[in-house]
Amino acid sequence: MLTAPSLGYSLLAPILIVLAGAVIGVLVEAFVGKARRTAIQVTLSIGVLLLSLQQLWRIKDLSSTTAAVSSVTIDKAGIFLQTTIILLALAAVLLIADQDNFVAQASALPGSDEERAALQNKSQQTEIFPLFLFAVAGMMLFPVATDLITLFVALEVFSLPLYLLAGLARRRRLLSQESALKYFLLGAYASAFFLFGAAFLYGYAGTISLVGISAAAGSANDVFLLIGIVFVSVGLLFKISAVPFHSWTPDVYQGAPTPITAFMAACTKVAAFGAILRIFYVGFAESQTIWRPIITTIAIITMLFGSIVAIAQRDVKRMLAYSSIAHAGFLLSGVIALNKDGLAASLFYLFAYGFATLAAFGIIALIRDSSGEVSDLNRWVGLGKKSPLTAAAFSFLLLSFAGIPLTSGFVGKFAIFSAAYKSGNISLVVVGVLASAIAAFFYIRVIIMMFFTDPANDSVSVVIPSVKSKISISASVLISIVLGIAPSLLLTTAANFANFIK
Amino acid sequence: MLTSANLVWLVALPLFSSAILLLAGKRSNSWGHVMATIVSACTFTVGAVEFFAMQGREEESRAVTQKLFTWISVGSFNVDASLLLDQLSICFVLLITGVGTLIHIYSIAYMSHDLDRRRFFAYLNFFIAAMLLLVLGDSYLNLYVGWEGVGLASYLLIGFWNQKPAYATAAKKAFIANRVGDVGLSLAIMIAFATFGDVSFAGIKDQTENASSTQLTAIGLMLLLAACGKSAQFPLQSWLGDAMAGPTPVSALIHAATMVTAGVYLITRSNFIFDEAPIAQMMVLIIGGVTLLFGAIIGTAKDDIKKALAASTMSQIGYMILATGLGPIGYAFAIMHLLTHGFFKASMFLGAGSVMHGMKDEVNMRKFGGVGKFMPITALTFGLGYLAIIGVPPFAGFYSKDKIIETAFNAGGIKGITLGVATLLGAMITAFYMTRVVILTFFGNERWGHKDEPHESPALMLIPIGLLSLGSIASGFILSKGEGLVNWLEPIVNPLKEHHAEEFLPPIVVSVMTLLVVIIGVSIAVFKYRGDQLAIAPTKVSLLTKAARRDLFQDDLNEVVLMRPGQSLVSNLLSLDYRIIDGLVRAVGSVSITAGSKLRTLQNGYVRSYALMTVIGALALLIVIWAVTA
Amino acid sequence: MSLLTIIGLLPLIISILIIAIPNKNIGLIKKVTFAGTTIIAIISILLAIGFDKSDTSLQYVQSNVWIPTFNINYSVGIDGISLVLILLSTILVPIVVLATWHESDSGRWSVKVFYVLILVLETMMIGVFAATDLFLFYVFFEAMLIPIYFLIGGYGSGNKSAAAVKFLLYSLFGGLLMLASIIGIYVISGNQIGATFDLAQLATLEIDNQTENFLFLGFFIAFAIKAPLWPFHTWLPDAAKAATPGTSVLLLGVLDKVGTYGMIRFCIQLFPDASKTFTPLIITLAVISIIYGAFMAIGQKDIKGLIAFTSISHFGFITMGIFAMTSQGMSGANLYMVNHGFSTAALFLIAGWMMMRRGSSTISDFGGLQRVTPVMAWTFFIAGMSSLALPGLSSFVSEFLVLVGTYTRYPVAAIIGTLGIILAALYILIPVQKILHGPTTPGNENLTDLNLREKIAIAPVILVIVLMGFYPKPVLDLINPTSEQVVTNAGFSDPVAKVGK
Repeated sequence: MLTAPSLGYSLLAPILIVLAGAVIGVLVEAFVGKARRTAIQVTLSIGVLLLSLQQLWRIKDLSSTTAAVSSVTIDKAGIFLQTTIILLALAAVLLIADQDNFVAQASALPGSDEERAALQNKSQQTEIFPLFLFAVAGMMLFPVATDLITLFVALEVFSLPLYLLAGLARRRRLLSQESALKYFLLGAYASAFFLFGAAFLYGYAGTISLVGISAAAGSANDVFLLIGIVFVSVGLLFKISAVPFHSWTPDVYQGAPTPITAFMAACTKVAAFGAILRIFYVGFAESQTIWRPIITTIAIITMLFGSIVAIAQRDVKRMLAYSSIAHAGFLLSGVIALNKDGLAASLFYLFAYGFATLAAFGIIALIRDSSGEVSDLNRWVGLGKKSPLTAAAFSFLLLSFAGIPLTSGFVGKFAIFSAAYKSGNISLVVVGVLASAIAAFFYIRVIIMMFFTDPANDSVSVVIPSVKSKISISASVLISIVLGIAPSLLLTTAANFANFIK
Repeated sequence: MLTSANLVWLVALPLFSSAILLLAGKRSNSWGHVMATIVSACTFTVGAVEFFAMQGREEESRAVTQKLFTWISVGSFNVDASLLLDQLSICFVLLITGVGTLIHIYSIAYMSHDLDRRRFFAYLNFFIAAMLLLVLGDSYLNLYVGWEGVGLASYLLIGFWNQKPAYATAAKKAFIANRVGDVGLSLAIMIAFATFGDVSFAGIKDQTENASSTQLTAIGLMLLLAACGKSAQFPLQSWLGDAMAGPTPVSALIHAATMVTAGVYLITRSNFIFDEAPIAQMMVLIIGGVTLLFGAIIGTAKDDIKKALAASTMSQIGYMILATGLGPIGYAFAIMHLLTHGFFKASMFLGAGSVMHGMKDEVNMRKFGGVGKFMPITALTFGLGYLAIIGVPPFAGFYSKDKIIETAFNAGGIKGITLGVATLLGAMITAFYMTRVVILTFFGNERWGHKDEPHESPALMLIPIGLLSLGSIASGFILSKGEGLVNWLEPIVNPLKEHHAEEFLPPIVVSVMTLLVVIIGVSIAVFKYRGDQLAIAPTKVSLLTKAARRDLFQDDLNEVVLMRPGQSLVSNLLSLDYRIIDGLVRAVGSVSITAGSKLRTLQNGYVRSYALMTVIGALALLIVIWAVTA
Repeated sequence: MSLLTIIGLLPLIISILIIAIPNKNIGLIKKVTFAGTTIIAIISILLAIGFDKSDTSLQYVQSNVWIPTFNINYSVGIDGISLVLILLSTILVPIVVLATWHESDSGRWSVKVFYVLILVLETMMIGVFAATDLFLFYVFFEAMLIPIYFLIGGYGSGNKSAAAVKFLLYSLFGGLLMLASIIGIYVISGNQIGATFDLAQLATLEIDNQTENFLFLGFFIAFAIKAPLWPFHTWLPDAAKAATPGTSVLLLGVLDKVGTYGMIRFCIQLFPDASKTFTPLIITLAVISIIYGAFMAIGQKDIKGLIAFTSISHFGFITMGIFAMTSQGMSGANLYMVNHGFSTAALFLIAGWMMMRRGSSTISDFGGLQRVTPVMAWTFFIAGMSSLALPGLSSFVSEFLVLVGTYTRYPVAAIIGTLGIILAALYILIPVQKILHGPTTPGNENLTDLNLREKIAIAPVILVIVLMGFYPKPVLDLINPTSEQVVTNAGFSDPVAKVGK
């Protein structure tokens, strides 16, 4: 007869609320009529996110290693990451609410009669919202999970909905579905690596808890530890799309409905890096001699590869995909730094980068022609003349990605590189700045296309965004601007919250 | 040392007047030339006043200074803008302002038909100001300002009619040749500062005995280079002939009487350096000797009357430079010849101008002939100048040139003989080519080949010429009377009062020899150019003549040695800059682009290859770890 | 709030006013900009008047916390060197605005944008010279690229966007190298005296040689690109050819000075030992720049390209003077920065008027302008004379100080540098002859001479060129104390004359 484990509900509340919201969302799908569904779903999602945010605020000073027995640790860093995810999710849901991006009936074949029918009678399905909430819940669990099983569960909980969501693009359905399938196959594949590694680590440490693993470090037979670390890392590096585990990223970013791409690019990065930071800072800290060299190599390759290949891209979504690969490289320097500054810097960077990315994809979703969204860069020429404000905002975000001073991106880069330098990884800093120099090249090329080239007659136009998108985008851009000029508030917060408890 | 508040006016008056003329523009067309002339006359008056005041004072207290303001002061490098008027500079002040004023007057008439006469006078005033600053500056850096100022004035005046491309080019050529000299002056100043921590004449003079001879030699040679540039001495002489593109009054004032003699001033002023630097002094002698012959030879073949006179100027300055090379006793004679030359050469140039004026600006002597009877006064004054330059007693040239030849011989030994012979030879050639000029111009058959006869120039032109030729008659006698100039300059150039070493030859012998060679030169010329001449230059002539006509190939040399290599260097650099240096920059860009598109092919869209990549990656990591940990 | 901060903010405030003006009211926009920038110039002159020459420490200092996490402060303050450069910037801007009144009319974007960019740029220029916090300096240093980039790309001519990109990427590359060094020295300060960006404190660090050399290079390459020093110069001619004359004035006249300024302020003061180590190399590069730039200038067919390469030669002189490490060289270099600013301004503005009238920037398209447009010809001639450092004009004083200062320590370099003055005569007189002299060639007969606005704009520049030639003392008095301090802090003292008095 088993005794039920005692759960710290109040500490888990933020996650549980989102999960509950997701479940309710499913019920709504089942019982509410088509007409009112969308409205309810949107309100519901926003509501639960806000509620969960409020809960996070309530527990911001609490911490415990036994929130769910020993498998979840609520601590400063965890709360910061969860908050970041919630805020980004709020911005994302507003974009997603712009239903025009999604297929009316996922089950219908591309171009089939059902689909056309579904379009005609406005039978827009809204399963995206529960899926979205499930993903968010998983993401919130990921960075606070402190044993390998929970980590794996969280990983799957937020991955599976994303696989589906990626396939729901309204236009270019085949591309979208292909990308979804790829994402699913490769994701499953990577999860397998993770599980495999977890098994080895268990074999090595006799426990699945990160603390236990770090405690066991230095004991016999570290071939197991070694294989374990490698395979677990592969699983996680896949999620943050570090080279050579990045290959899904461009295809999926391009294929998925843009709001989903925005959501993935922003939130997945935060969640995955949250988890990586915790694992490496808590679990593998003792065995850094093993993994530091390889992660450093990976980081260097990732920065360079991402920056260089991005130059060759002609599709803005793919370009941003590669740029996000490069940024994964920069962020890894924060992991390698393995010091408090590194953690704080990563927290800031994730927050800043998250909003910049979200805004960028949000804007991309607005650039359309008659046949829908246009992500082909050559069609963006002269955008600056047609709609200067949008172009200016996008340019600002690009400059932020490039890390020009007075943008949030610069502060983040500075923070993370100085942490890396402090930890003695000077090579990372040098490669980092060189990669940034290369990266600047293609960011600026986009600015030229928008501003310095005369609009071609087939060039695109900006649709007037819905109020929701407008709010989301402008808020995100605003945050990026503020973080560029007055980053101190967030930096201090990040510094205060830069703490994993063991 | 005494101070005087008047010195600044010498520079300021003409400077302001030229500024006013340039700024006022066409508005001042009507009165510009008058004002300029009056201002020039004023400077002469100031100069005269200072001169008499100076004469009144004791020898040791004759020099006066005026500090205007601190110009540059950084660390130990302190240069005041201050003026020094001493026995040496007063000679120049009087020459510059005196001859200058006469030439102003002359130009009123000579330039009367030119629309830009006002601008011409502005330039003349500017030149006067710069030239006075050159001789009044109390440090090498102040001198440098005047030095470049006169260079600029000369550039502007040579190119006064720069709508003619050839003239513009001549002006440019002059400026650049001078710049080469300026490099010398700049370096001399730098070395002086590094050596003495000072660039003022007085400051350096006090310390020369402490300096090593190498440093002094270096400074001396650099100063000599500067002198070569400004005074058209070998090897920087090539610009002077072309400089005749300028209006004739300019040739008279700048390129005969004053500016081109600045080099002589510089060396004389730096006597305290050259007297301590024998090697530099020897170079001075060589340059002077070479140039006096070089110029003379060119002079024999020129058909352009102004170019012939220019060549003669070059050669006469050669005499002066040579004299300055003869040490303490030479300087005074150099200056004396400089002054006398100033008079007779100016008068001859103005005479030439008068001839051109009367002959539709024709300059080719082959197209003159028998002008004398149409322009008697011009002919007369020119004749006086002629007698002066070839050194017929009692005309000015006789006193000054003889002294130089004599001192050259007295230099003693091989050196003395070589120099003496060179100077004698020069005297002979001078006599030849000047006679040639006079005959071709004023005597013989009339060859100008058009009906209207030459007419005598207006009084406004003739009066200045007349006054100058008085100088050609009397100046030599006056200056050498009782060794007047020598004693006057002694405190500056010959403080130890050295006197002639043992006389190699008694002066009378030298005079006789000189007269002899002069007579030879004259008679050859008379014999060669007797009777009627053709209006076109003969083509079947000796190689030497051909060479002399081409200025002894000086331009061809410059072109081969400097211009062509320079041009090819420039064009090579241009392509290097684009191909290699900028090429590398562009390469960085293109390389990363190609790298991008190559690596991009990894993204082939097949899940299987993505998966494979993952596996390989994972295995690679394992291997790396093993490598690291094992 | 320090007067310095006020001057720095004023352009931004004016730009906000400009934004408030309706787009079509071009005249008003221009007038407001001109009036505003003139006022700024006047105030900055007050700044100079209130400046205590005798005091070598920073003045008008202000420091506010900006990013406490990294101990980054908004700290500004000026010494003699930064003061004269700020004056240069604030005085040149209104002149440029007045001189290039119609430059923005035919741009890709509105006139308003043009002037907003100019004003933002002015703020950054003031900030970059006033910053005493390394991070703050870097922010201005990088951020000022953006307005220039848009000024070139949006209002320039010819192959403008390519040139703008080349300029931006080249500068960014340098800037990022410098960022690495900045991070380095920041971390080192953290280990030694507590993390800081304060220049004075950073100067006290003890850095091991190898690290110091690398950090030095990070800074130096960035500045060598900015100031363009051979072989990092190739972006400049392209940029200068593409940019409008006004932009070029600000680019070559002021922005590039940030490079040489940075060498003095950061390379030498933060890394004295490394500076010593690299001096031979740098002097060599400087000498190459002098000669190379001059030869390239001689070969140019385009007026703008000509001016650009003359500037490369002049930057060679400045760099040589700086690293000669003598008070004459240092003061000369600083004075040179100012003088070059004005003479380049004159050259570019007048050349701009010529090109605007003739519709071409090819030298051979001009001819005989002296007879057609005497005033324009004269001003161009004077500017040219200043560029070839004619004694009596401003550049001579600085160039000679540099040479004499260099000679006392590196005679050979000085001698080669002196040869540059011959080449200078060539690269100025050849175009002068082609453009101003000779018969008036077809297409030039009807060119109009400078109008009143243009005369008013150019007059002060010419005036400065002439006055500073005869009486540089006021500026030298500002520069000297700081320069000598820099030299002393770097551990050098002037070589004494071989024959002591």
